[in-house]
Amino acid sequence: MNDKISWLSVKSLLRLEMRARFGSGVDMTPKAKVGKALSMLFTLAIYAILVTGIYYLAEMFVRRSHMPFEFLVMAMTFTVCVTTLVAIGNVVKNLYLSGDNELLLRFPVSGKEILLSKSLYCMVHNIVINLLILIPVCVIYGVVSSAPVGYYFVMLAVMVLAAPLPYAIANLLAIPVMMLMNLVKNQFLLVLILLIAAICAGFILYMTALSGVLEYMRDESASLFSPTVMEKFRNFAGAAYPFKWYALLLGGWFSGYSSLDAGLSFLYLFLITAALSVAAYFVTTRNYYKIILVGVETEKVSFQKKIPNIKRSVFGTLLNREFFLILRSFNYSFQYLAMAVAAPVMVYYCNDLAATMGQNTVGAAIVPGLTLLVIIIFSAIIVSFASTSISREGNAFYHTKIIPVSYSTQILAKLVLYGAVGTASVVLSTIVVAAAFGTDAAGNLLTDLDIGCIFIISEMITLALTCLAIASDVKSPTFNVVGDGEMVSASKNMIISLIVGILVAAVFGMFTMVFSFVPLQVGSTVVIPIGESNNIYAILCGVSAVILAASVAALFVNLDKRYQKIAP
Amino acid sequence: MLKVTNLKKVYPKSDRVAVDDISFELRPGEIFGFLGQNGAGKSTTIKCLTGILPFDGGSIEVCGYDIQKEPIKAKMNMGYVPDNHSVYEKLTGREYVNYVADLYRVSKQDRTERLERYLDLFKLRFAIDKQIKAYSHGMKQKICIIAALIHEPRLWVLDEPMMGLDPQSTAEIIAYMREHCAKGNTVFFSSHNLDLVKRLCHRVAIINDGHLIDCFDLAGNEENKANLEERFFKITGTYEKRLFEDYVAQEQAEMRPDMPVESVEEPVKQSDTYTDANDYYGYAAPEQFDTYAGNNENYDYAAPEQPYDQNYDGGTEDEQ
Repeated sequence: MNDKISWLSVKSLLRLEMRARFGSGVDMTPKAKVGKALSMLFTLAIYAILVTGIYYLAEMFVRRSHMPFEFLVMAMTFTVCVTTLVAIGNVVKNLYLSGDNELLLRFPVSGKEILLSKSLYCMVHNIVINLLILIPVCVIYGVVSSAPVGYYFVMLAVMVLAAPLPYAIANLLAIPVMMLMNLVKNQFLLVLILLIAAICAGFILYMTALSGVLEYMRDESASLFSPTVMEKFRNFAGAAYPFKWYALLLGGWFSGYSSLDAGLSFLYLFLITAALSVAAYFVTTRNYYKIILVGVETEKVSFQKKIPNIKRSVFGTLLNREFFLILRSFNYSFQYLAMAVAAPVMVYYCNDLAATMGQNTVGAAIVPGLTLLVIIIFSAIIVSFASTSISREGNAFYHTKIIPVSYSTQILAKLVLYGAVGTASVVLSTIVVAAAFGTDAAGNLLTDLDIGCIFIISEMITLALTCLAIASDVKSPTFNVVGDGEMVSASKNMIISLIVGILVAAVFGMFTMVFSFVPLQVGSTVVIPIGESNNIYAILCGVSAVILAASVAALFVNLDKRYQKIAP
Repeated sequence: MLKVTNLKKVYPKSDRVAVDDISFELRPGEIFGFLGQNGAGKSTTIKCLTGILPFDGGSIEVCGYDIQKEPIKAKMNMGYVPDNHSVYEKLTGREYVNYVADLYRVSKQDRTERLERYLDLFKLRFAIDKQIKAYSHGMKQKICIIAALIHEPRLWVLDEPMMGLDPQSTAEIIAYMREHCAKGNTVFFSSHNLDLVKRLCHRVAIINDGHLIDCFDLAGNEENKANLEERFFKITGTYEKRLFEDYVAQEQAEMRPDMPVESVEEPVKQSDTYTDANDYYGYAAPEQFDTYAGNNENYDYAAPEQPYDQNYDGGTEDEQ
């Protein structure tokens, strides 16, 4: 490795990195510009929701429960943990797993120059993420706790001090994370189970927090935390090092702690950050080149599986291949199988929260409508994966054209697989909501008729959305694959499928909810009297059947002609 | 076996005709070479006749079945090896071959026997149970070839089949092409390697700028064989006397600036003893391939010079 660093090379590599991440921005079509603007708006909306959530949490702890310092410790714990996790992901992705490492090694640039350029990018990324999380947390805390002006100056210093720590930890942990990833690389089932567990755990955590926030928003007079819970918060805040030091430095001086505590906190944090940064520097500079070489060499590490020659039916073999191509990909397993299995859990929590909120504000009659809305939304999320069913064939797409199997049969195999997974998810979701809301103990919020009709309508819509998703990919597939032939990013078909699904869910859910309270009249004839859910379901079943029939027709009519037109 | 009539293909959003009014017919038992420069229309023609691309005019019949009207029957008789050897990389080699065998309705016994034979022939037994993503370029090419042959197609279509293959595998494929056509099947392949085409093919067609500009016999016609390069250069419009002479002369000692004149060896003459599979390119006689293949104890060899049916008239109704 050449020891001398050329800053010109570093600059060029950094520019290359930035271009790869964000595009050049030159020659963007108006359509692409609109897409980018919409994507930015969506990100801003999500960020606004996050900031609002932080504000309500701060109010809950600081104003209502009088635990400002405890809040600060927990906020700093959350901030440092999240930024560290993001930084680990960023470092692993950009430094070690980046597909361009092999390419860059061919250029007359040294390993140190590649490391430096990529590290600069990661560092900037880390600082931006830190600021995006720390600024709202610290500012909101300052506003809510009516902190003195000095607090905001200290806040700036803490933000500078807090930025390097997650990055240093990430650099140290990236190597063991890489080793772990290599270990589980071909353990597809294990990975799938872990993914499902992680999704469920994350979602439950999120919904529990959201439930608390919504409860607080709904009833300001309700007592927030029991004395036991408050004691637990205090114990946590007292022992949560090193996060407590950040809180002491930031707000300890006006929360009853001495200046000495703040000074010592600064010293400890400075020393820890410096020590970890130095360690990260040595570990990374000494191992980076070696590890990316190993990465390049082991990129194609695969598993070996001895099977006998098995004869399957044409349809069976198409199904089998489609399933294994999904199962043997981390991305696809996560996007599809893990989401499908975790959906009932998510449906339960969403429905529980929505039903609780809805009952308290509007009444129990909206529960069936809400359940329908939630189940269809999650089905739409799962089913949107089918909108890449052709695109995912990637470079092997030609194969679907040369085999002596009709295009209809090939598409039917895909439909059966995605339909079966979607159906399984709907069945499980229905069972879960029936068990949770349809029992005497739960107050029979859902009757047998509700449950049966919700299942039938959701199932028909799920199948219809699957047909439409596949049809959209037949119309305009995007064979944009990398590496092992996996898709680079979500296609526009996926986004459209998702939007259509959510719209259908909203219309069906709202229809059911609204006409639980308001009679539906055509002229002077009352079509649906209040409380006649049979009629609501009959209409929705009819509409669903029409949508399903139209979707099946949209997929299969003239399919051969449309499929033959696809030119890879 | 394959009848292409007035084939025309224009790519969408392109004003250029990629393939224009191409007609040719392949007879049972022949190896047919398809030559042309880069972008001449070779791969487009192959993609049309394998059903990958739709076309705008003309017709294609495989074993008497129109690829547009009876695509399943036509494809059932065809095996295709693409130039980019793309396969489902998440599957193991055996899974992939079984998948293809299922699609072509090959019985368990037949697929097992054939696979065993091909694994020995192409030296791929060590990797057959590994995921294809770990395969090298050549190994992927071999698994594509095995998958294309697992149903013993009557028409075997290969697009640049020798790209990236080691010399031994190339020799094996050449020998197998001959064996395949000796059984009355047909091999259709595109190539840029004129020497290979000259030695292997019974007939050759040359495409230039989307037009088929020549189609002639090589088997039994020494003059055509000898003039293949010159003819190719001339009819593709790339012939310049000086350049062609350079092309021909470049193997001669005085044209090898990379070697001292005294160390350059004369090309091996056809009568010289064949010793190494690496040497066949450009020098060795077809008989020497045969000798090589014959040395392989697993190789069930058929006479390479099996003449195609000179009197073939396109097949009878019964045959079709």
